[in-house]
Amino acid sequence: MTRRDPHDPPAMWRSLEDKADPERPSRRAQAEAHDPDGFISADAIVSRRGFLTLSGATAAAVGLSGCIRRPVENILPYSRAPEYVIPGVPMHFATVTERRGDALGLLVESHEGRPTKIEGNPDHPATEGATDVWAQASLMDLYDPDRSQRAARRDGAGNLADAGDTTAAAHQAFEEALGARLEEHDADGGAGLRLLVQPASSPSFLRLRRAVRERFPSARFHTWSPLSSSNLRQGAWLAFGLPVHVHQDFARARVILALDSDFTMTEPGAVRNQRRFANGRRLESPSDDMSRLYVVEPSPTVTGASADHRLRLPARDVGRYLKALCRELASNHGVDFGAVTGALGSPSTEGIPEKWLGAVARDLAESRGQNVVVAGSRQPPAVHALVHALNRALGNIGRTVGFTPAVDPEERDQVTDLRELAEAMGAGDVRTLIILGGNPVYDAPADLGFAESLGDIEFSVHLSMHRDETSRRCLWHVPRAHELEAWGDMRAIDGALSVQQPLIAPLWGGRSEIELLAQVAGERNWRGHSIVRRTMRESMGQGTGFERFWRRVLHAGVVPGTAVAPGGDLPIREPEIASAVRDLRDPEGALGADDLEVTFAPCPKLFDGRHANNTWLLELPDPISKICWDNAAYLSPSTAAALGVENGQMLRLSREGAEDIEVAAWVQPGQADFSIGLLLGWGRAHAGRYGDGRGFDVYPFRTSTALGFASGVSVRPGATGYLLAQTQEHGSLEGRAIAIEGTLEEYRDEPRFPKFQTVEMNIPPLWDTVDYQGHKWGMSIDLTTCTGCNACTIACQAENNIPVVGKRQVARGREMSWLRLDRYFVGEDENDPRFIMQPIGCVHCEEAPCENVCPVNATAHSPEGLNDMAYNRCIGTRYCANNCPYKVRRFNYFTFHGYLEGDGVLGGDYYGVPEVKQMQFNPNVTVRMRGVMEKCSYCVQRIQEAKIRSRRTGEPIQDDWFTSACAQACPSHAIVFGDLNDPNSEVARLRQRDRAYLLLAEVGTRPRTTHMAAVRNPNPEMNG
Amino acid sequence: MQIFPRTLNYLPLVAAVGAALAGGILTFVVWYYFSPANLQVGYTPEQPIAYSHRLHAGELGIDCRYCHSSVEKSQEAIVPPTQSCMGCHAVVRPDSPLLEPLRQSWETGQPVEWVRVHKIPEHTYFDHSVHVAVGVGCVSCHGRVDQMEVVSVEEPISMQWCLDCHRDPGPFLRPPDQVTNMTWERQPGDDERIADVSEVRPPEHCTGCHR
Repeated sequence: MTRRDPHDPPAMWRSLEDKADPERPSRRAQAEAHDPDGFISADAIVSRRGFLTLSGATAAAVGLSGCIRRPVENILPYSRAPEYVIPGVPMHFATVTERRGDALGLLVESHEGRPTKIEGNPDHPATEGATDVWAQASLMDLYDPDRSQRAARRDGAGNLADAGDTTAAAHQAFEEALGARLEEHDADGGAGLRLLVQPASSPSFLRLRRAVRERFPSARFHTWSPLSSSNLRQGAWLAFGLPVHVHQDFARARVILALDSDFTMTEPGAVRNQRRFANGRRLESPSDDMSRLYVVEPSPTVTGASADHRLRLPARDVGRYLKALCRELASNHGVDFGAVTGALGSPSTEGIPEKWLGAVARDLAESRGQNVVVAGSRQPPAVHALVHALNRALGNIGRTVGFTPAVDPEERDQVTDLRELAEAMGAGDVRTLIILGGNPVYDAPADLGFAESLGDIEFSVHLSMHRDETSRRCLWHVPRAHELEAWGDMRAIDGALSVQQPLIAPLWGGRSEIELLAQVAGERNWRGHSIVRRTMRESMGQGTGFERFWRRVLHAGVVPGTAVAPGGDLPIREPEIASAVRDLRDPEGALGADDLEVTFAPCPKLFDGRHANNTWLLELPDPISKICWDNAAYLSPSTAAALGVENGQMLRLSREGAEDIEVAAWVQPGQADFSIGLLLGWGRAHAGRYGDGRGFDVYPFRTSTALGFASGVSVRPGATGYLLAQTQEHGSLEGRAIAIEGTLEEYRDEPRFPKFQTVEMNIPPLWDTVDYQGHKWGMSIDLTTCTGCNACTIACQAENNIPVVGKRQVARGREMSWLRLDRYFVGEDENDPRFIMQPIGCVHCEEAPCENVCPVNATAHSPEGLNDMAYNRCIGTRYCANNCPYKVRRFNYFTFHGYLEGDGVLGGDYYGVPEVKQMQFNPNVTVRMRGVMEKCSYCVQRIQEAKIRSRRTGEPIQDDWFTSACAQACPSHAIVFGDLNDPNSEVARLRQRDRAYLLLAEVGTRPRTTHMAAVRNPNPEMNG
Repeated sequence: MQIFPRTLNYLPLVAAVGAALAGGILTFVVWYYFSPANLQVGYTPEQPIAYSHRLHAGELGIDCRYCHSSVEKSQEAIVPPTQSCMGCHAVVRPDSPLLEPLRQSWETGQPVEWVRVHKIPEHTYFDHSVHVAVGVGCVSCHGRVDQMEVVSVEEPISMQWCLDCHRDPGPFLRPPDQVTNMTWERQPGDDERIADVSEVRPPEHCTGCHR
């Protein structure tokens, strides 16, 4: 693939349809302009008589309200003012959230007691100030109107019913029932008492677990989460004989080989991985080095999209590839695997291109001690063990690969653990089951029969935020506190200990896991605050100075000195690895149309299903497929052709030993042939009003022996026409290449990418050009380090009160997100394209085309160069959006706040927004109404705050005072915002970078946002 | 046979002229009298407690910032918490029947429901702290509060009125330590202590106030 001139026909394409017909995007734009259904939805049209009635009523209402002089508004001051709270000045608190066994340190902004925005804690090693998409979105989980509000008990008819008329009464009823039950167990030492818990990284949890075992010696704990790290742990155990967590330093590695590992998004430690990976590829100048990433994976992920070379390979063949690669390294490059060499055998290389063995092996052998091989958590333990042996043989251990002790050394293989519980339940050995968090009825392996036997248990309790699938099969349901509502403590994978500090009292009186556990243990002080303080005090060992220490920890968000730098040089156990590798047999037979593979991946939006009622995440376009409000079965174009399947066609998947499932098909370039990618977390039955029945539940297809992937799947295509709303063709620039890509070699030849630099305008600007004095705000977006993880999109949504619009409106192209992430496919091979991700918000043109066409001057330029929107002037002509060459303006058709609560036909209104959701709104940003155009404001509320602070203190604004919400969230630090006139600002430096270019420079809009070309580092040997 | 008198032939003309005139007058009435200068100014809502600024700020001479304590730190000047009132009224006239709502708030923890007097639209963001920091006096926007028994609106608080000052802030600036002084007048030597107009540069663009 070569670089493209701005006016060449697109070698980049947004969808398969566009690739087949390059003229299609411009035709589509014209068709949209003439399509009445694109403007007024057919089902919103009311009858003539209805219209007159409504307009009459509206006129009357307007007339009446016009008579009233002004609404009386009250000011409600505190009775007793809390310490430190100054109304109008937000406070920030350090807390922590759990993510696949890691702890992400957070700083949460609170306005008079309402948490409104989540940021990363710069002092926490896992986040370093960044966050991921789930941390950003977890506010919507907190303010979910469908959260359970009372403890509930199953009634005679088998339905859950409130256990009391008030929260307190319901809790009391539950506590009495639990207390009585536990007293019975006191007599038998806890025989028949089982607890099903989430994987623990909390010292308080570990302490209370000991306390429960002391009280009930025969009680047993079981651990289950659908996305466990069991394979990683067992692989490390096989290789090192110790419970350790293996860290990879992606910043120092020169060559990275990721085997079915989405290490920048869904694997444990993803936020820190992404930051380090980006650091290893940050190009200051052509003389800089960047790492090279090889990815072998079945279904495209954001990690695969960042790869320099990507091999589409079914998940079951990844182990075979690894063995073949090791064999190649051992035979031709003198890499010594010791006793493991013999176990490698001579694996078949069928379906693996020669260069993926020869060239990759050479690259690895030449960068010994400076590369990293990493496998993903759905690959079996033997693959991980062999990866450790490979890293050892390449001399990476102690250099780019390090270790820290596992947080909970007791944790076992979770499937085995859950199977033992399910078997005991089936045999009637479980009399009392307490489920702390999770949703095992929905996500347990289908073949264990967990759900079926749960209903028969005499006394079962489920602690959960919603009355979900599991709660409905238990005798008792107890509302669970959100992480922002409860005290807790957590250890990150590197040991960093943090206190989870609540931002708000439980909205619905929820309890946390440790609180319920303390009640089971019979602790008198079972409130989270006392539990955590006690754990902390005990671990400190001395009583003096605790208060000061505690306050310091709460302030900093992490206990100083607890984070261990991953290091060490553990010897590997070659015989154990050898025997595991020997057992890792090559898969038999080739995949084909009647023997397909399915892979199960965490959804990059809903994760394992816990966020299924989160509207921000439901509507978020998938990073790769750009599908909103649904999941789908991903098929490669050639597999789809072989099966005769089209987009939106229902597929019935069947496999021996699993229930059949039905999923809509989506043809996904980059997918491995005859491997179907399935995303977990959808198709919930009892998620809440927004999530119920969205997408397709694939858990019934996931059995205990096939948690990661399974072959032997057959497909029966069914009805066509299922609507999958997606945004991959939205905001198309009609074929103009705006994402620019090149190779490192090309970049070194021609650092300024001259063909893409500012093209001389042949038309003079309409107005006198302005010489911007004072502040000159600007942004820089580096396409080399952007992975497309979506954290910026949700951060923007949370900061700027952006509504969601619902699936049908997305399908009509009416999504409201100010910052969109374009994903381009690159290349001629539609089965195996490369990917470029490009975040685009308003680029704040200095010669803004939108401003010239506004008839009411609602969008105007500020002296600092911002393209301002005055919402109250806007009359909704939408001329500006039509004249915007970047298609970044969003029109609010239906008062989309509250739209989903309304009937979705006549739209919503603010009063339709549940009160609890209103609590999320940022008070410093206008909540826009319908009929108004809106777009990225460069977070102008933060700019104004900084300017006011500067005026108040007399200090000039510093670069580190503030940044835009997207830049703050970005784990890659790909987005940078600041003052271009400040010579010390990072953004001013980046704008001078040789890779920087302006979008559609030839149009002469002079954007304030610069993008920096994506530079890839392909291995020359891999070409051809 | 002529039923209608000939003069009626002028009816369409008279009607047209009359309609035009009436329309013009209506437009003028709405444009002039429905402006904030007429609708806002003079708004004097009844408050739950007959609190007298004349007594507290005028006769007793309590500084504005004693109660409106965050005016220098926050966008809000705040109405003081019940706690601030009780600081004095626990001792001063503790049994006055007028203070019954205050005592009730103190006992129950429920807020006193004051009525907002100076209201700006919700899409407008006004920050007290920055105005106070550059030396805009309280009196410039709120009038002689120290002479008001019941607080009422004295200035139109319209966009036009805001911009008048933003375009020419000079006459409204005073030494920052005199912002709460209701009777301040420019003295010789004040000029050095008043912020330089060319440095103040209040925003005149949309997002200065509308975000």
